[in-house]
Order: sequence, then C-alpha cells, then structure tokens
Amino acid sequence: MANIRALDKRRKSVRNIRKITRTMELIATARFKKAMDRAAAANDYTQRITQIVTDLANAGLEVSHPLLAERPEVKKATTLVLTSNRGLCGGYNGSVIRAFNQTRSGLVELGAEPSVEVSGKRGITGLKFRGVKIDREYTNFEDEPKFEDVAVIADRLMDKFIAGEMDRLNVVYTRFTSISRQVAVCETLLPFAKPQVAATAESTGAMKADYEFLPSASSILEEVVPASFRVKLFKCFLDAAVSEQIARMVAMKSATENAGGIIKRLSMTFNRARQAKITQEIMEIIGGVEALEG
Amino acid sequence: MAATKTGVGRITQVIGSTFDAEFPQDSLPPIYNAVKVTSDEKGIKINLTGEIQQHLGGNRVRCVALGSTDGLRRGLDCVDTGKPISVPVGKATLGRVFNVLGEPVDQRGPVEAEDYWPIHRAAPNIDELSTNTEVFETGIKVIDLLTPFVRGGKAGLFGGAGLGKTVILQELIARVASSHGGSSVFAGVGERTREGTDLWLEMQEAEIGNTGRHVIEQTCMLFGQMNEPPGSRLRVALAALTMAEYFRDTTGVDTLLFVDNIFRFSQAGSEVSALLGRMPSAVGYQPTLATEMGALQERITSTKKGAITSVQAVYVPADDPTDPAPATAFSQLDAFIYLERSISEKGIYPAIDPLASNSRILDPQYVGERHYAIARRVQKTLQRYRELQDIIAILGVDELSEGDKMIVHRARRIERFLSQPFLVAEKFIGRPGEITTISDTIRSFEEICDGKWDHLPEQAFMYVGAIEQAEEQAKKMVKK
Repeated sequence: MANIRALDKRRKSVRNIRKITRTMELIATARFKKAMDRAAAANDYTQRITQIVTDLANAGLEVSHPLLAERPEVKKATTLVLTSNRGLCGGYNGSVIRAFNQTRSGLVELGAEPSVEVSGKRGITGLKFRGVKIDREYTNFEDEPKFEDVAVIADRLMDKFIAGEMDRLNVVYTRFTSISRQVAVCETLLPFAKPQVAATAESTGAMKADYEFLPSASSILEEVVPASFRVKLFKCFLDAAVSEQIARMVAMKSATENAGGIIKRLSMTFNRARQAKITQEIMEIIGGVEALEG
Repeated sequence: MAATKTGVGRITQVIGSTFDAEFPQDSLPPIYNAVKVTSDEKGIKINLTGEIQQHLGGNRVRCVALGSTDGLRRGLDCVDTGKPISVPVGKATLGRVFNVLGEPVDQRGPVEAEDYWPIHRAAPNIDELSTNTEVFETGIKVIDLLTPFVRGGKAGLFGGAGLGKTVILQELIARVASSHGGSSVFAGVGERTREGTDLWLEMQEAEIGNTGRHVIEQTCMLFGQMNEPPGSRLRVALAALTMAEYFRDTTGVDTLLFVDNIFRFSQAGSEVSALLGRMPSAVGYQPTLATEMGALQERITSTKKGAITSVQAVYVPADDPTDPAPATAFSQLDAFIYLERSISEKGIYPAIDPLASNSRILDPQYVGERHYAIARRVQKTLQRYRELQDIIAILGVDELSEGDKMIVHRARRIERFLSQPFLVAEKFIGRPGEITTISDTIRSFEEICDGKWDHLPEQAFMYVGAIEQAEEQAKKMVKK
C-alpha cells in the first residue's frame, strides 16, 4: 500500500491532464470541421484548374513550359516538410519525419544534394535533433494557412527551379484521404507532372469542348501552369492542416480515455489503502484496549 | 559464563508457547537462563527447553518455549540448567546442521565441539570495531553497480512474497561461498524447510574453487523453520550469529553469515510478545521491536580481529516497506536492496529496484569517481523514465520531446540489461550463470548511457553478462 497522500496527489494531477486533453479534443473537433470545409472548397478549384491544363494538352498543342521540363539528372533536390507548430497530436509529426527520412535516403542514393525547408516548430526541432541541416524554416502557418503566404513560397521555388538552382521539389506532408485515413506521403511537385492525355480524357469523358485560345495557347499556359502549381502546393498545406486536426482529435480522445483508466486504477488503490489504514487503526485501538483490560 | 546455582521448579501455567514456573526463592534462575522440562508420562515424551524472559514476582518466572509445548502440563518439574542456551562452536560445527539448541539434526552423530558459547552476548565495544571499508565483489551487475556490498558489512534483500529473495541469497552463497576461503554460517529462520534441504544438498555437491573440497565443509547451517514454535525462530538467528562470532574472534578469517529471513525473527518476537504480557505497539508488533533488532544487528559486525560479512533476506509484508518490521531492519544495513514487484512482472530477474536500492559505499570515496558517476547516470536515466511513465501512459511516446524519447529508449535498454542469468537458476532458464567483473559492468553501462548500443533491439539486453554478449545475442536474433 503506497503512501495514501501520494496516490491522491497523483490522481489529482492525472485529472488535470484529462481536463486539458478533453478540452483539446473538443477544440480540435471544431477546428477540424473548419479546416475540412476549406480543404473541400480548395479541392474543387484544384480539380478545375488541373482540368484546364489537361484540356489544353488535349487541344493537341505542344505543351511546353519550363516547369514541365523533366531534368535528366537530379543534382540539387529541395524537400519541403510540412509539420505542425504544436504537439499533442499523436504520431502526426513522427510519421512525417519518418517519411522524410525515407525520401532523403532515396535522394542521397541518387547522388543529389539535398536542401531542406521545414514548416512547423515540431518538425524543425525534430529534424535538428537528428542532425539534419535546415535551409529555411517557416513557423507562420497555423490552423488556417493563407493562400498569399503559400504563394510567396511557391513563387520563390518556381524561380529557383527555372533558374536551375534546383532540379526537383519534393513535398513531404500528410495527405488527407478520408476522416479515418491520412497518410504521410512524399509528392514530387516539380518538375510539374505532365497531364496524362489519354487517361484524363477518358475519365472526364462526357464532353469535349473545342477551345479557342486568345491571344494564344502558350500565353495561357504561361499563366495556368504556375497558378496550378501554387494551388497544388496550397492544397498540400490545407491537407496537412486537416490531418493535423484529425490526428490531434484522435490522440486527445485516446489520451482522455487513458487518463480515465489511470484515474480508475488509482482510485481503487487509494480506496483500498484508505480502508486498510482504517481497519488497521481500529484493530490497534481495540488491541490496546483489550491488552489494558486483560 | 559461570554456571549459577541450579534449582528445580514446577510449571504453574502454560499459555501457548510460553509457560510459567515457580522456583524455590533461593535458587531463582536469572533472566535468559535455559530451563529444561523432561518427562515421560503415559507414553508422552517431553523434552523441552525454555528461556527465562520475565520474573513475575512470587518466585514465578515466565519462559518462552524453544520447542513444542504439546503435552506439557502444570506440575511438571522444570530444571534450571544454570546457564543460557549454549551452542557448540568451532571447527567441529563445520559441515553440520543444527537446530536452535545447537543439537545436530543431520543424523550424523554427536558434535564434539571444543567449546560451547551462550547465544546471548554483548556487541563488540566501539574501540574494537573495524573501520576500513572495501568493496565486496559479487559478479552480479546490478548489485556491483548500484548497491556495492561492503566487505565485513551487512546487506539486506528486501522484497514481498515470491520476488526471489531466497534465490538471490542462494545465488550469493553459490558465488561467494564457493570462492571464499573462510567459513560460512547459514541461518534459516522461519522459512520453508524444503528450501533449507535443497540448499544443504546443493552445498554438498558444490566445490570450493578447484580445491576438490565441498562448500558444505566450510559451512554450518542452523534451522528454525516455519513449522517450529516462535521461541525457536526467535533464537535461531542468535545461535547462528554466535557460531559466526566464534570464527571471527578466534580464527580471524573472514566469515560469511547468511540469514533467511530476518523478518521471521521480528514476527516470532511479536508472536510471543503478547503472551508475555506486553502491550502491542504499531501494527500489532511488539513494543520491543527496535530493541530486539538492534541487539541482533549490533552483534553482526566486523572487529579488528576479523570480519563478518552478512547478507540477510527481509520479507516485506504486503509490499509495504513502511511496515515497522522491515523499516527497523533497514536502518541497520550498509547495502539495501529492494525487490520490486513491477520489475518481476516484466520478467526481469533479479527484480532489484535500481532507484529504491542503495548502498552506503556508493560514494566516490570508496568506489571511485567513474563508478559513482556512471551509477548515478544510470539512476538518473531510469528516474526520468519513471517520471515520464504517466505521460507515456496518457499521451503516448510520440508526445515526448526528442531528448526525452532518447532517454526512454536508453532507459528501456538499461532496465533490461540489469537482468542477469544466475548460477542457481541455470536449470530454469536454460542458460549458464554469468559472472561479470565490476570493470566490465561499469564499461557496459557507460557505453549504453553514451548511446553506443542504441541500435540493438531491447530483447538483446535480456539475460546477458557484459555488453558484448548483448551484441552476440542481437546477431543471433537477426539470424532467426
């Protein structure tokens, strides 16, 4: 029977922790809904803009744009890692870091010179601890990443790519597929994936419109490809934000449950110890009385 | 001690394992004298020895029976032997098994001892005590690292039921007694008779080093086990101690004293205490708990003539170390080893709690700076791990900071590395016992703390000796 007071103290502290985790769970649930709406809205836009690029390709044009150019040799690769600023979200950051490690060892095998950009304090400390050199850090993305902020990064990366300072851009983030499924993935955003002519044509199926391009197809491509890249990158940020909230929700839910279990166990030990002590004292008093009488 | 004038008394009252006797006024036996009751009436043979505990007035004395009081009745003659209980001492006792009265119980004929010493003796004077402190190597990693034993000191093995106190004690006998030049004394106090028999048989087989002689030839054993009345369990530790004292004082060689289990000594005292009319004190123990323990423990000590190194098992009732009996024993010891249930539940043996256990000589002054620093580092890591355990239980490992994750990673390896295969457990776990030198132990733990072995799987650290064996085990696991 451990110290009764110590047990009580521990129980109180676990109760406080449970209070916090329960609140965090509720907050995460509310934020998750918001983030999910934003992601869904962006989803439509992304699909649409991809569609346009595809249609352009379908128009039988020679699609050529510096962002689409495949580089035969990958010398310099940049990896952008999206993690959260705050913890208490279970294995969310851990799995992103794990996915990053895989990507990195893959790039090292290719003989590429890796450069790393990280968003989120957790990822920054995590990678620093593992001795990874970080070239750029972003901590300004919270629950609702703003398009303007992402666009700044996107523009800079595009310039870098076009200038030949980097041959490939990988984004490691948590992709949101459904509420019960989010996976940490590594996606190659640059060079921009060429639209798959045949596949997309069939899948969109229904209507094939003939476009007239004014002033010219290439000038529109000039506009659309960078816009599409920006949106795609933005989508990564949004997905990461939704996944973070879900991860936090799940983690906090199980934490609340775990805390409940511990409280239950501690209460039982506490009550047992308390009872044992009372019995003990009664026995001692009775024993003493009897000894005095006898 | 000179024999006093003896007299013959008469039993006036029998209560449980105590009895009162009335003596003629001029031959009243002094306290602690032994009295004998012998009778053979109606086929009931009685041969009982008692020890005078109190003088009640009216020429009556109250005695504790050192044997069964079955068949005893009022009016029987009670003969004062004129001296306290005395046990044979010296060379003749080696290789033999005795009961509390110093009578051989191994069916090997009478013991012809050169001398008999009374079991009640004064503790050595303060100016006779030996002051040098030296580490006593056991070859058990966790003990050598965290709770080094003192040569000529006292070590206690505390633990609840079934945590392996007796196994560790027997392991120490196997390790130490088999390489030890001096004599050993084993006292079985209130434990299972079977364990005593096992030990006796094992000692007959085990050899001392390569001398071809058996361990039992250097050992004498005394038993007052569970089935015996409290008086016997109360005095058998003193009897054993007396034999050990003789070796210390006359031969001057290092003597080992093993006691299993010192808690039973306190328990026996509490059983007779109420019968002797003392008011129970905390938790129903005798009010004289500390006095009795002090009188015993103060005698187990090293003097300038010779050393007694003792290892005592202490049962901890209901896993509660604050219980008065283990708490009283605790303060007497140089090295304190606490066995923890949660560790034994993980299957890690010896189930020694690395944080609760301690030793007086875990101090740079005695063990050296390096040993001390590493022991503390190991404890610090494990302490932090224990603190984090609640957080891990609630939030999961992922929420820990990177530094804490590393601590948990290493702590889990250290925890497992504290296990060790025992010589006496060879037939149970199917691998030979490991004796690890202190320098190997220190180096191994230092390397784990430095992170040199972070890549090995946790399971590789289970039941190995030095760290190189963990590496081998990891390789074997990979092959499988």
